[in-house]
This record gives sequence, structure tokens and C-alpha cells, in this order.
Amino acid sequence: MQSGQMQAVTAKELEYIVDSISNEDLLIKQCAATAATSQNPTIQNACQQYIRSMDHHLEMLVQALQQHQSLAPNQPQQ
Amino acid sequence: MNMNYQNQNQNQTQNQSNSAFMQDEDLLYTILSDLKRTVREYTTATTEASCPTVRQMFTQMTNDTLRMQGDLYNLMKQMNMYSTSSPALRQDVDKQIQDARNTQQKCRQFVQQKTSGMGQSAQASQMQASQMQPQQNAQNPYFM
Repeated sequence: MQSGQMQAVTAKELEYIVDSISNEDLLIKQCAATAATSQNPTIQNACQQYIRSMDHHLEMLVQALQQHQSLAPNQPQQ
Repeated sequence: MNMNYQNQNQNQTQNQSNSAFMQDEDLLYTILSDLKRTVREYTTATTEASCPTVRQMFTQMTNDTLRMQGDLYNLMKQMNMYSTSSPALRQDVDKQIQDARNTQQKCRQFVQQKTSGMGQSAQASQMQASQMQPQQNAQNPYFM
């Protein structure tokens, strides 16, 4: 991500990022539970692959929060 | 894609013990549903993003999640866990094509009415801004 374009996140963006973290978390757990339950190697492999992608998303979302941390104002803005 | 979930638990039990938490089919369908919901939310988040880096991130996640949803759908289809809805009838497709052509023609007429003379007006405005012609809304049947 280009830091030159970085702006403080809006309250709405913060909500979407937090909701997205929750979505990815749930999906990862569902995929892990499916991989553990299923006897089918195709399903197990697919789930493992999805978990890797979703874990990457989760990491990106948390990083996005961290990158915007210092830009967030301490007082409410007009 | 307008697909219907098809319950085929009986066909699937052969590979699973009775102690399984849930059938593969049900588990995958739950994941597929959540992938669809997550894609919708990422799309909304993208359109609502203000910061360019946040928008870029949500765009990438929309694409990634769409790809995963498509992959999982294909996997479920191959395993006969998902059935598509029955094909639309030829007469219904024909009817919709006719209606669509009609809509398209009316839309083009509307654009033509709105934009005819715009090139001249644009030229005129460049040379003499004060001589801009008023728009022809009064003659437009859509405003009557």
C-alpha cells in the first residue's frame, strides 16, 4: 500500500474493517471445522487453501488498522 | 447465479460416520453462504471507502472472496451437492430480448433528445458563453 495516499480512516471505514475481521474469523473457523470433520481429501485440501487466503485477509485487515493508528485524531473532528 | 440448494444427505452418508458433526454438504453450504455474504459486504465497504488505500484493500478482498466463492461453488457442483435452477424457456428468452430491445431504443431516443445540439452548444459556449441555447425540455414527452 502506498503510504502517500494514506488518510485517517473514517468511523464508517473502521466499522467495515472490524466487521470484515469478524467475517474472516468466522469463515476460517468454519473451514477448519469442515476440514477436521470431512473424510474427503478434496474438501480438506480446498478448506486448507481457503484458510490460507482468509488468514492473509485477516492479517491485511489488522495491518490496515495499525497503519491508520497514528493518523487517528485524539479529539472529535468537525 | 440463481441456484437452489439440494439436500442429498442420503447420497453422502456412505463416506461419513454417523458421529460426524455435520454432513460435508451442509458444512460446505454454510461456508458458501458466508462467502456470498462476505463478498456483498466487501463490495459495500469498497464503495463506502474514503481512504484510497482502504478502498484498494477492500477491492482486492472483494476479488479474492469472489474467486473463493466461485471455486467452492464449482467444487460443490462437481460433487453433486448443488443443482442449478431449470433452464429458462426459449419463449421467455425471446420475450425478454424483445422488451430489452424496446427499452434500449427508448433509452437511445431519450439520450438523443437530451444531447442533440449539445456539440454545437459546447462549441458556442467555448466561443461565446453568453449565447448558450436553453435546453429543449419543453419538447420532451418524458417530462409531460
